[in-house]
Amino acid sequence: MSLLSGDPTLHPYLALILFGFLPSEVWRALAVVVARRIDEESEVFLFVRSVATVLLVGVVVKIVLAPSKELALAPVWARAAAFAVGGAAFFAARRSVFAAVLAGEATIILAVWFWTR
Amino acid sequence: MTEIRASDSRGVFLEGVRVALTGPALYVAISLMGVGALARAAGFPVGAAALSTLLLWAGPAQVLFFGAGVAKTAPPAIALAVSLSSVRLLPMCLSVLPMLREKRTRLPTLFAAAHFIAVTVWAESLRRLPERAREERLPFFFGLAVTCMGLTTFSTALGFWLAGSLPGPLAAGMMMLSPIYFLATTSRAARSGADWLAIVVGVVLAPVMVTFVGGGFDLPALALIGGGGAWLLGFYARRIA
Repeated sequence: MSLLSGDPTLHPYLALILFGFLPSEVWRALAVVVARRIDEESEVFLFVRSVATVLLVGVVVKIVLAPSKELALAPVWARAAAFAVGGAAFFAARRSVFAAVLAGEATIILAVWFWTR
Repeated sequence: MTEIRASDSRGVFLEGVRVALTGPALYVAISLMGVGALARAAGFPVGAAALSTLLLWAGPAQVLFFGAGVAKTAPPAIALAVSLSSVRLLPMCLSVLPMLREKRTRLPTLFAAAHFIAVTVWAESLRRLPERAREERLPFFFGLAVTCMGLTTFSTALGFWLAGSLPGPLAAGMMMLSPIYFLATTSRAARSGADWLAIVVGVVLAPVMVTFVGGGFDLPALALIGGGGAWLLGFYARRIA
């Protein structure tokens, strides 16, 4: 069964709601119910903050280690270099997010340009 | 004093809009252009691409959904993969909602706020909310979140139309934007040793988990082991101090 079988004008939207929106949104709804019992100063709050932070790092590592086809154009050392240069710029510019993005992006774009030239 | 006038509230909302436009909204908008391109490859209409940003508002889930469309995966398997990738929204919402909530905040408002929470809005909230008075937090949050989502909805459609026409180095740069921004802004938001500890534990443990656990369970496993461990270390450190 394909997502696109049946009425082609309506099914994509139905599929998006049933197999995309609902299974994803259920976690946010659950959070609203649970969050009512969590105090901003409590240990539980600090615990979920740690969990969320580690998760974010996991998402980042996954994008870099299991790259999409566009990012796979850059060899793994170039992806690592983009983080190293971005990180150096971040601390050199007194924790500037913009400096990190600028330096990291310049590194990856130049590296791919040299590599695929 | 918990009452603020409507005009103040509008000003704070606009401040949220302004903060979003100085970076976060642009970064997330550019990095989700790829979702539009993927939707097109999967044979979805441009409306579904844009709607996926409004409804899902979670990059990895959107990539999985349309990627599965390309691979013609069975719908129940798609739903499961999407749901697993969005488990991370639970701790993200749980670590923002208690900062937003006031005694009189209504439940529908919290559901609305939760819908906007994904990595970008989560990271900016962690960084910006603690320094604001409690009564300013909700309008500021909504200004920030609505701007991020609005601009990204537009850029998802733009990505659909531009699909395949971007030169290689720029396409690679586009995919690298969110990882660099996510890591930088989370480091910027770090307020305590515990936050730094979580980041370092993640950097060390994530490659191991991604390599050896796989199958959609790698991130949940990483979160519980790494996040739990980082919290426990912090807990004992606070005890000793």
